[in-house]
Amino acid sequence: MKKLMLFIGMIFLVMIANDAPASAPDRIAVSIHPASLQANMGDKISYTGTITNNTDKAVNNIIVYISLANVTPGKEAPLDLEDWSANKAIKVDTIPPRATYEGQWPMRLIDSGSYVAYITAVDKNDNMPVSSPMSHLEIKRVLRLNPNNVMPVAFGEPVALGMVFLLVAFRRRKRVK
Amino acid sequence: MKTAYVLQKEIRESILTPKGFLWYILTSVILSVLSYLFLTNSELSLLDQGQMLYMIMNFITALGILVGLVFGADAFAGEIERGTMEALLLSPVTKAEVAMGKLGATLANLGILLLISLPYLLIVGKGGQNLLIGMVYLAFLATFLTIIFSAFSMGLSSRIKSVKNSLMASFFIFLLAGSPIFLSAAQRGTWFGRILDLINPFADAINTFDSVVVDGQGFVHQAGRVAIICGYLLLSLWFLERSISKQEM
Repeated sequence: MKKLMLFIGMIFLVMIANDAPASAPDRIAVSIHPASLQANMGDKISYTGTITNNTDKAVNNIIVYISLANVTPGKEAPLDLEDWSANKAIKVDTIPPRATYEGQWPMRLIDSGSYVAYITAVDKNDNMPVSSPMSHLEIKRVLRLNPNNVMPVAFGEPVALGMVFLLVAFRRRKRVK
Repeated sequence: MKTAYVLQKEIRESILTPKGFLWYILTSVILSVLSYLFLTNSELSLLDQGQMLYMIMNFITALGILVGLVFGADAFAGEIERGTMEALLLSPVTKAEVAMGKLGATLANLGILLLISLPYLLIVGKGGQNLLIGMVYLAFLATFLTIIFSAFSMGLSSRIKSVKNSLMASFFIFLLAGSPIFLSAAQRGTWFGRILDLINPFADAINTFDSVVVDGQGFVHQAGRVAIICGYLLLSLWFLERSISKQEM
């Protein structure tokens, strides 16, 4: 019975030890909102990144930026966000102890496919950059064949000018004859 | 009145001819392709509407300048090479009136280009903000720039007396003026890039279009750049006046 109690006690201790954090929490934590999103090409969306200072001291000069990677099969590549009009990096001067900072990354969805977005914070006093979990983004393709009635102008104007051109040429030739 | 006579002659000879008219059809075809791509291509169609309008405005301005350069380079050197300059100077018109008439023809050509581009601007900018104010800025700045480059090219044409050489010199100046376009955004942000942007009338114009159409900023933000363009306008007219007054047959 004693042996059984000892064995159960050891299992209990091991379970407690497994539940305990392996190390102290990171100086800063980063999260992204929304965690997943479905939208159409051309939509404007915005990601919110929350940077939490987990220490009792203010953290200064944090650089926070968003990254987007295309994970569509066959198109796997990181994206240059310049085309997507997203904010580039945000420099956070200071986050007070135990406080949070919220940054916005608006973007216009340029291409269809499956993507993952994540926000990274870089603290020069820490060797490791801290990234948020990945937010999954699905963008549906949208086809527009005649937006703003472009067809009549795009095809009509050169044709109309061509007809005026023929008229001018014809009248000139007639005059010469 | 005599200027109007030269203007009429130039329009008859350079614009209302089948060859001259062909340019307008080509312009229209290029604008059709551009606007169709902007609005239907899966990636380009998602550009900000202001950005599309800004790109079309840049294209129209560059085209107006280019045609102005060609007209300007041909103005005096072309007449000399064709052997018609003597006849022109024997008629009761002064050199200044000839120059003003030819400059007027360049502006008439720009007016036609702007008229051709109007439907495209309306289609591309439909429903977007800053369309009308953008078109007002385009009309003024494209006119100013066309006068600047055309007057400069005309002055060179009068001094060099060779269409080929004055055209080459004018294109070189135009490429120099367009050089900030070849710099990256980071390079343009440096002190050198900023100065190059500021002293360059073409860069001033496209930065003004950007500021007005894309960023929606008011005239206060544009005043400095517009003043620089006006300065170049006066300088180019002065250069033209000096060049034709020194012209010898």
